[in-house]
Order: sequence, then C-alpha cells, then structure tokens
Amino acid sequence: MCKLIKVSGNSLLPRYREGDFVLITKIPLLFNRLKQGNIIVFKHPIYGTMIKEVNHIDKDGDQIYVIGTHDFSVDSREFGPISKKNLIGKVIWHVHKPLP
Amino acid sequence: MIYEFIEKLDNKVHFEQAEAHCDIPCGIYDPITAQIAALTVVRMIDLMSDLDKTHSEKDLEYQNSMSRYIAVKEEHAEKVKHEIRVIWGDYIKPQHIEKHPEFHDLVHKIMQLGSKSRQTSNRDTGVQLVEAVNQFAEAFWDTKGISIKRANAPYKPALEMVYPNL
Repeated sequence: MCKLIKVSGNSLLPRYREGDFVLITKIPLLFNRLKQGNIIVFKHPIYGTMIKEVNHIDKDGDQIYVIGTHDFSVDSREFGPISKKNLIGKVIWHVHKPLP
Repeated sequence: MIYEFIEKLDNKVHFEQAEAHCDIPCGIYDPITAQIAALTVVRMIDLMSDLDKTHSEKDLEYQNSMSRYIAVKEEHAEKVKHEIRVIWGDYIKPQHIEKHPEFHDLVHKIMQLGSKSRQTSNRDTGVQLVEAVNQFAEAFWDTKGISIKRANAPYKPALEMVYPNL
C-alpha cells in the first residue's frame, strides 16, 4: 500500500527537488480523497513515472489535470489530463534532500 | 539523518524514480531524429552511386551534384552522433544502464559508424549505422515501457526502422 519513490527533475521546485524521497500510498485514491494541491505520482504513456501537483479534477470524466510549479514544467498544459487509472499514489510523506 | 538512511537503502534497492519533468534542462527525447539522419546517410550514398553510374563525363554538373550529396551525408552522419550523444548524456540514467547494459557499447559503436560513414562511401557502413541506431531506439523505448514495431521506412532507401507502438 505504501511505496518509497525518488524524485528526479526540477518541475516542482522549490518544494520538491531532485534527489528528494517521497512516500506514496494508494489508500486516499481508493476513497476518492484527492483534492487540488495534492502531490501525486502517476504513470504517463510517454514520460513514464511522473510526480506533479493536482491542479483540477474532472469528476465527470475521471480525469486529473496536473501541473508543476516551475515555469518550464511539462504537465497537463502540454500533454492534457491524465486518467485516474494511471494514478500510482498520493504523496503522504516528503523527505527533503539536505542542502549542500 | 532520515534522508541519509533512505539514501543508503536506495543505493542498495534502487527505488523507482518519479520524473518532475521539465523542459529545461531535460527537454524532449526521441531517437527518431537520429534514425532519419542515419537513413539519409544511406540515401546519399545511393544517390552518389547512381550519379557515378549515369555520368561518364565528370563535368561541372556532376561535380556540383556529387559535392552536394557528400555535404548532406557529412551533415547527417554528424547529426546522428549529436542526437545520440544528447539522449545518452541527458536522458539515460543508471537504472536504464542496469536494465540495458549494452547502452554504452552501442553508443560507442554508433559514434564509430558515424565517423566511418563520413570518411567513406561504403553502403554497408551506412546500413550498419541505421541498424545500430535502431537497436538504440529499441532500448530507449523500452526504458519508457513502450513496445516497438519494426517496419520498412515508407521512402527510399526503405530500410527497416524501429517505431514506438503508441
């Protein structure tokens, strides 16, 4: 039910940096406990496993629009919404990489 | 303290990575540019060969066409090397190498075949270059969990190419 994931890339700067670890779980997804601002990990057919922030949830279409906090983030503005079936988990714990 | 512990654990078990994908500095990666460039190398060699057979007189027109074909061959062989270097250097991560240990040797082979394609007009070398880039593309798409298909290019020289099965 829980999984540790390592963050790669910088589209969620400054909150999440390359090398951070996150603990994710599927439990909130099973009870539809997902809301705007949550950080989620999901599978994208082209980009692979991604981590982004929930920007908007389309409950009718079971689709989620995700966004990064960095200006150059590749997210739903580029590849559109993601399907709920591609969700891997919601971040419930964040371990920051120590600053150099 | 907690971070150091998890990091040590990661060094042993390699946790899955989630990409916070960003156009800068990572960009969009696709080996198709290198594949088309490799195919162009073979096409130029074919055109050079045809021109040589059809022009007994090496006049100005012949020299003009031949030099243009050679210039394009040069450019595209170098483009293959550049595109592969970018994917290899910017995209390929240790976990990809772990899954496909052949990546380094394959990239080295492509570099050598690319240079040889510039130095010579040997068609076999060009065909080998296309196939080496195909093999690179096959491993590349596998790192994204995307299956591939092989099909002949719909244009001359119609060699077999690797395409993602999207």
